[in-house]
Amino acid sequence: MIELKDIIVKFGDFEALHNINVDVQEGEFFTFLGPSGCGKTTTLRTITGFIEPVSGTVSVNGRDITRVPIEKRNIGIVFQSYALFPSMTVYDNIAFGLKIQKLSKAEIDKKVRDIAQKVDLSDEQLKKAVSQLSGGQQQRVAIARALVTGPSIICMDEPLSNLDAKLRVQLRNELKKMQRDFGITTIYVTHDQEEALTLSDRIAVFNKGYIEQIGTPNEIYNHSKTEFVCNFIGDINRLEETICGEMKLPETRHHFVRLERLRVNRPKDEGELQMQGTIESREYYGLYIKYYIRVDGQILKAIEKNDGINIYEPGETVTVGIHPADVMSYDVPAEA
Amino acid sequence: MTKKASWLKPEYIWKVFGIAFFVYLFFGFMLLPCLNTITQIFTVKGADGQTDPLAVIRFFFAGNMPSYVWNSLKLAICLVITVNIVGVSIVLLTEYFDIKGAKVLRLGYMTTLIYSGVALVTGYLFLYDSNGMLTSWLVKVIPGFNKEWFSGFRAVLFTMTFACTSNHMLFLRNAIRNIDYNTVEAARNLGAKPFKVLLKVVFPTLIPTLFSLTVMTFITGLCAMSAPTLLGYDSINPEIVRLAGSSVADEAFPQARAALLSIILAMFTIILLTTLSSYERKGHYLSVSKTKAKLVKQKIQNPVVNVLAHIYAYVLFLIYMTPVVMIVLFAFQNYPAIRAKSLDMNQWTLINFFGQQDYEFLTNRGKLKTRVGSISGLFANADTVGGIRLSFVLSAIAAALACVIVVVAVNYIFKNKNKKRATVLEYSLLFPWLLPTILICYSYRTYFNSENVWYVFNTNLYWKENVRFLIVMAYTVVKLPFALRMIKAAFYAIDEELEDAARNLGASPLVTFLKVKLPIVLPSVLAVFALNFNALFTEYDMSATFHSSYGKSYAMVIQNMCAEEGRDGYNVNASGRRCASTVFIMIVSGLILYLVYGVGARDLGERLAIREKRRKRWQKLSRGSTPAPRTARRGRAGA
Repeated sequence: MIELKDIIVKFGDFEALHNINVDVQEGEFFTFLGPSGCGKTTTLRTITGFIEPVSGTVSVNGRDITRVPIEKRNIGIVFQSYALFPSMTVYDNIAFGLKIQKLSKAEIDKKVRDIAQKVDLSDEQLKKAVSQLSGGQQQRVAIARALVTGPSIICMDEPLSNLDAKLRVQLRNELKKMQRDFGITTIYVTHDQEEALTLSDRIAVFNKGYIEQIGTPNEIYNHSKTEFVCNFIGDINRLEETICGEMKLPETRHHFVRLERLRVNRPKDEGELQMQGTIESREYYGLYIKYYIRVDGQILKAIEKNDGINIYEPGETVTVGIHPADVMSYDVPAEA
Repeated sequence: MTKKASWLKPEYIWKVFGIAFFVYLFFGFMLLPCLNTITQIFTVKGADGQTDPLAVIRFFFAGNMPSYVWNSLKLAICLVITVNIVGVSIVLLTEYFDIKGAKVLRLGYMTTLIYSGVALVTGYLFLYDSNGMLTSWLVKVIPGFNKEWFSGFRAVLFTMTFACTSNHMLFLRNAIRNIDYNTVEAARNLGAKPFKVLLKVVFPTLIPTLFSLTVMTFITGLCAMSAPTLLGYDSINPEIVRLAGSSVADEAFPQARAALLSIILAMFTIILLTTLSSYERKGHYLSVSKTKAKLVKQKIQNPVVNVLAHIYAYVLFLIYMTPVVMIVLFAFQNYPAIRAKSLDMNQWTLINFFGQQDYEFLTNRGKLKTRVGSISGLFANADTVGGIRLSFVLSAIAAALACVIVVVAVNYIFKNKNKKRATVLEYSLLFPWLLPTILICYSYRTYFNSENVWYVFNTNLYWKENVRFLIVMAYTVVKLPFALRMIKAAFYAIDEELEDAARNLGASPLVTFLKVKLPIVLPSVLAVFALNFNALFTEYDMSATFHSSYGKSYAMVIQNMCAEEGRDGYNVNASGRRCASTVFIMIVSGLILYLVYGVGARDLGERLAIREKRRKRWQKLSRGSTPAPRTARRGRAGA
């Protein structure tokens, strides 16, 4: 569907994207994930046409659109700020693209009302100014405006970053549902790994203008290809020399284990390394509890489901088990 | 073929036209006239007919010219002190301290926003001049009181002190309202006493604004025109106007001396503004807080200080309000009451506004004579109506022109951000800011008063009605920097993603500008238009510099009214008309400010909400009135 081939983008002397290669399938929810300044938005803006790459091609369904003007790409976009026109009503915002296409009034009205219904905007809301809507409603207007012209692809640039935590989770679910209902190919940019993991069919993890890994959420989380990915996605323990020695892990590499893979006060499993540790402190999250456990001079973080029975107090001695299969190992990065 | 077609592209033609226009505007109406003024100084011919470049400068030091410069400087320095004292105190009294009746006080202190310049000075004269109400009262109370006390430096300083606090009320008030109250609470919590909090926490955040206000006040003092002219104080500007109208037959090289004075003024302005902008460039941040708490008014704990503060606040209120109230009241009084300056409850009239009356008077020989139509209202007096009409048209054209030029320019500047050509355009539009208004007007007057300026088709623009074009150009050029600063700020508020969104939805740059960007900046553009119009409608300095009977502005007409009053029965009620004029100006300015800050500041949401409220009220009313006909019918049936 969308293919980015050897894309290089430069801003003056600074190379923002180095040889980006991505292949997004039709109907897929594809996420660009990474920290600020990693190149994910630049890649998105290259797809939509706001940025022209120095080299490489952007193709949609096999057609090269690298030099095609923005408005002729048939790619909708939902901006981080939503970019709703403040001087227009909700209706006029959604109708803007259709008016540019010079459709008849009746046609515009039908399309606007159809899409409004699909994104759950009432007739009353259509008459309002965008400033009179809540954050969630504004997001729906932005999506409706992007979809009403019937694009083949929709791009979303951190559309949830302006919202509070609760609304973000709620809209995340709505967004996924909408995408499923419309069946539209979606490219989603975020720096929030939880958002990426819950929404995406596939994720591309960006770092300093490179793609570190492309894969399904499970592949990215459980089989992180690089140390950067494994560190960026979720919390993790890096095992220090003593534990590595006990587990006979090669010293030439860095070794990591995820928090939920540590087994606290459980019967010893086959092949597992079990060690004695002392609870240093704990963080109570309600659903689970995060423990900081001193093991062999190193602090290991572990999370345990809050079952209300086994809650450990600071100073308590516990056993900590690590299964070699849960350890992710990477070659030491060149700069380290 | 293809090459030719690209040359003929509308975008290209617009670009060439735009560049040509701005080059023409900058060189033709900013740089060349002012350079001509500078050359005037050094091309003076001595008695032997030879050019003597230093003649004017020698004359400057030999004659009394430095006294004008010193007088202006003295006024500027004193004004900085008095305006800051009054300005800071009125802002603190209405915004920071808990003073009873602060809302009413604020309205009083803000009156200078709706009347200024000549209108304000004549208002003060009405009260304080030799036969003014207050002076007469003082003479009665204090035997031997000098009737002429309200003239010269004292009068100018007094009048301008109160007239120039409008900027404090606008900008310092904003700054104080932006203070994060949590910082005040934190200081109190750490043990600071209220006065210490004011001095160590509140004041430092106001310093950048105060610095700008000080510079602005200093420049206002240096360039003062209407107050010194009307109250008789020999400062630079009135002298330039006098010299510009003088001829070589009367005195030595008057034009060159006027030029020298205006250049001296320009030098002071440039130095001050450079200091200001370098200070601003250092960057001062009013608050780093992301969650600001609203300022809570501070109660003055010490009862004695509290009472004194209240007395001070209300004395200031009286000073601000008395001229306004008196002028409004006297605008509706007959000429005998105005002449006697004593309110007569039986002499209310609208004659100062509308209609004409005959004037009957006794001659020295005791004969009763009648002058037909000698008493005339503001809107019935040909001279006044002419002034209003001319000022209205010229100000509206200039205010609109300045807005259009700046909107086009700012759009270009934002599109070419970080490019040299955008910076050049911006600085060329800011150029008039460096020059005192009088230098621009004087330069126009002398430079275009010839038929040798090729780029205006060798037309003498100072000749007869042509001067109106010159006035429009001067008005426009002088207002460009203000318009640029304000409209540029409005463009900054446009989210760049909006433009991207419009382009993504297929809109061309022109459609994006007209349908997306312009509606967003329109309230600010209209506000700039209204404020510029407001200032130009009652401006005096520029039209006085042009000094042409074809360009007699409303303010000049008002100024003339002071001299016209009651000569042998002509224009008997000129003072009444003057009061009516001030009322008219206050209404126009008040209305414009309301439209700008009241109506114009509403966003689409607020407008829709008001419309909805009105619709509901209307529905309620019509529902309420529906049963009425039924009752009436029943009533009739019953009858």
